[in-house]
Amino acid sequence: MASEKERSGYWSWLPAAFALAGIIVFIFATFGPPASSSGFVSTLKGALQPLAPEYIAAKEHYTMMPAQGSWLFAFVLGMAIGGFIAGRTSQLPVEDVPQIWQQRFGSSRWKRFAATFAGGFMLLFASRLAGGCTLGLFISGSTQLAVSGLYFGVVIFAFAMLTARLVYKASAGGQR
Amino acid sequence: MNSEIWLGLLAGAAFGFVIQRVGATSAGKMARAHLMLEGDIPRFMLMAVVLSAIGLFGLQLAGVDNTRLLPTSLVATGVAGILFGIGWGICGYCPGTTWAAAGEGRLDAVFALLGGLAGTAVFAHFHETLIPLLYGPTNIGQISLGGWLGSRLAGLVLLVGLFGCCIWLIGRLWGRKHGA
Repeated sequence: MASEKERSGYWSWLPAAFALAGIIVFIFATFGPPASSSGFVSTLKGALQPLAPEYIAAKEHYTMMPAQGSWLFAFVLGMAIGGFIAGRTSQLPVEDVPQIWQQRFGSSRWKRFAATFAGGFMLLFASRLAGGCTLGLFISGSTQLAVSGLYFGVVIFAFAMLTARLVYKASAGGQR
Repeated sequence: MNSEIWLGLLAGAAFGFVIQRVGATSAGKMARAHLMLEGDIPRFMLMAVVLSAIGLFGLQLAGVDNTRLLPTSLVATGVAGILFGIGWGICGYCPGTTWAAAGEGRLDAVFALLGGLAGTAVFAHFHETLIPLLYGPTNIGQISLGGWLGSRLAGLVLLVGLFGCCIWLIGRLWGRKHGA
């Protein structure tokens, strides 16, 4: 298993989990529970504040969250920087339209972009309703033994697996 | 800039780097994980939780307790989980990975990020209606495994046991039809 992963260029899951856990514990020590969907609110708040200050001041979802000068915004910006550095320094393939998607829907970029826009909309609408995402609710929550995180985790994995089956029209196990 | 910003940037950059290297920023790999073709990403996620939970337990023993438990709302957390799962299945990104994948140069992730900002704006607009409607009535509070079992250590042992079983099962059940 491990040799297969090395050939593919990706890190093996176990050492990578130690690396990520080290970062998560560092975040708990220096800040608190890590979160990334909150970063979307901070980004938006910072962008909208100069344009519509009264609107932002009147909306609870914005008043409960800090704007750009915050850990939450710095973290998501940092993630983009980390992804950039990692991408520039590796041979791993970067594709705008994943291969598995092309096999099912063809190579149209705009079809894929429309789908990820819609998917992204649902992800964040849902995260803001639940109060967190994969990181802020499932990973952070479960790390703190929170039932909310475990419950959310079970539901998101189940529905993502079901949706992927439908999207890629794969029978149990899948052909590709 | 204050230290909070440097700490956030540093942690974010390290986080983004690791998830790119393990392949979690690849929507194709994520789809293959959801289709039970490759078990590495889910095992990576679950193992990271196990190790973080042990590390956090250690931090708490050392007197550092920056925890903030999110409450469980049976309806809101469940409905959100369903919507989130569908979105995750469609695009192969989650909110955090869109930032790292966009930085990596994946254009579909940029669109997922823009869609995410739109979804955030729409939810924020209706927050005052939706939270009392969906979140409040079935909010059963900040419950945790530790609280249920009466001890943090017992909760940790249960979590490690549960996640350990899942990691083992994923290793057994995923990737059996390793076609491509």
